[in-house]
Amino acid sequence: MRVNPIKRIILYAVLSIFAVLMLLPLWSGVTTALKTSKEVVLSTPIAPPLRPTLIPFRESLDYIGRSLMNSMVLVVSGVIVSCFFGSLLGYAFSKRSFPGSGVLFLLVVFCLYVPPQVQLIPMVRITSIIGLHGNLGALVLLYMLFGTPMCTFIFKTLYDDIPDSFIEAAKLDGAGVWLIHRRVILPLSAIPFIVAALLQVTIIWNDFIWGLVLTSGKSNLPVTVSLANLKGSFVAEWNLQMAGALWVAAPTLLIFIFLGKYVIRGYSAK
Amino acid sequence: MSVVKKSERLKTLIVVLPILLLIFFCFYYCVGWNVFISFTDWEGFIPTRNLVGIRNYQQLFGDSIFWISLKNNLLLILIFVPGVVLLGLLFAILLDQKIRGENVFRTVYLLPFAMSFVVTATLWTWMYSPKEGMINVLLDKVGLGALGGGWITEPQIVMYCIIVALIWQFAGYSIIVFLGGIRSIPDAQTEAARMDGASDLTLYSKIIIPQLKSSFLTAVIVFLCFALKAFDFIWVLNKGGPGYSSHILGVAMYKETFVLDKYAYGASYSSVIFILSVAIVLPILSQIYGRETKS
Repeated sequence: MRVNPIKRIILYAVLSIFAVLMLLPLWSGVTTALKTSKEVVLSTPIAPPLRPTLIPFRESLDYIGRSLMNSMVLVVSGVIVSCFFGSLLGYAFSKRSFPGSGVLFLLVVFCLYVPPQVQLIPMVRITSIIGLHGNLGALVLLYMLFGTPMCTFIFKTLYDDIPDSFIEAAKLDGAGVWLIHRRVILPLSAIPFIVAALLQVTIIWNDFIWGLVLTSGKSNLPVTVSLANLKGSFVAEWNLQMAGALWVAAPTLLIFIFLGKYVIRGYSAK
Repeated sequence: MSVVKKSERLKTLIVVLPILLLIFFCFYYCVGWNVFISFTDWEGFIPTRNLVGIRNYQQLFGDSIFWISLKNNLLLILIFVPGVVLLGLLFAILLDQKIRGENVFRTVYLLPFAMSFVVTATLWTWMYSPKEGMINVLLDKVGLGALGGGWITEPQIVMYCIIVALIWQFAGYSIIVFLGGIRSIPDAQTEAARMDGASDLTLYSKIIIPQLKSSFLTAVIVFLCFALKAFDFIWVLNKGGPGYSSHILGVAMYKETFVLDKYAYGASYSSVIFILSVAIVLPILSQIYGRETKS
């Protein structure tokens, strides 16, 4: 094939410049988080710190540490339950026929596009009726259920690739829905589980509006709300803000860097 | 046989229905209740509420904050959506040129998308900071200090600053969607076109881009939905300020409801957001699923 070297050089230059632009805000965050307040004012934002310090990381951790744990609770409980529901429903929609399955599946898909604003007020009402408003428990419950449509969709899409013959055999042996799901489907589900779980981890960890509306009191906040509060409380202390932002960003950045191909499968299933 | 089959179908339904009902309660019951509340005068944690008909909507359509917000959502739809779609398509094509280190580029481009809006809004507040922020400092360094400004503190340009940051955050996702679309086109087609001596330009404009319809639909539906329901980034960046200049419907809804405790009035905002979303999503979804059943 004809390859024009000048064209290639321009191509790589364009791709690299774009990569630098994409990294710039993050880079400026890292350099600033490693500087003392004095150096932040005196140096250029993109210049690396002359005398790196970890104090901003320690101070911001004091502020958001508790909420890091809270978000971890939310992620673990939300992922387990929504993936379990999702795999069961996905299996039913993919391999079982039942009355109304077509319409019901469309109703599940449509849930993905319902804007959260329209659920905020009712959910405040519902959580206060069951006595969970303001409490972390409200969010635990919410993420378990709100992740299910997305998980159902992913599991259904990926189960469609499993040959029906696998299940037919079990059906002939008289195994019921639950049993086939447990014995035949779950052992084949490693990839769908990884894909759906990573997607849910990212979504729950990064979510903000539900924590903002449903929780109150420092001990109940998820990490994003905590970071927003830190940003509001230490307005000109950029190093503290950046360090806090990096604590919050680290888990999802690591997931995208090391397990990116699974996350991408989740997003492209949509 | 058919009797057995029928009872089995019912059994499946009995297993899945409780979960489905729980989910639909969270989504569709909430939509219904939200619309109902928008026709009352409810103010949150007070138990009393009276039906007031369309009073909230009359107030809404006479409220200048509503129109400012709607205009800003429209700006997102008209500038952010096409911007991020075209940028994604462009860089997907560039990445499709048998690039060495494609994985590295792809991962780097996707990093902003990995982060919470709260994180990216914090980073961009710092980028745009008039005094020490990177943009003004860098402009100063290269002798273009005159171009510097107040950025997100200036009502005239704050929305455009937000759009730039949002395009930065979503570009990687858009690239992935289009790259996936390009890669799903059989090699035989592009090879055949190359054999016939098609230039890169004709190859992409005549053969590849026309086959990316489902990528376009995916990208457009995701970005349009985002453009309507957006809240986090702007709220954390500057709470929709200065003044009301970067209010969007999501921000105005949150403020009316949870800052000013006007729950019923806030519900009318969210009903509008919902109706606009449905109006945009339904036609595109019917395109996607209508095609699937045909093929």
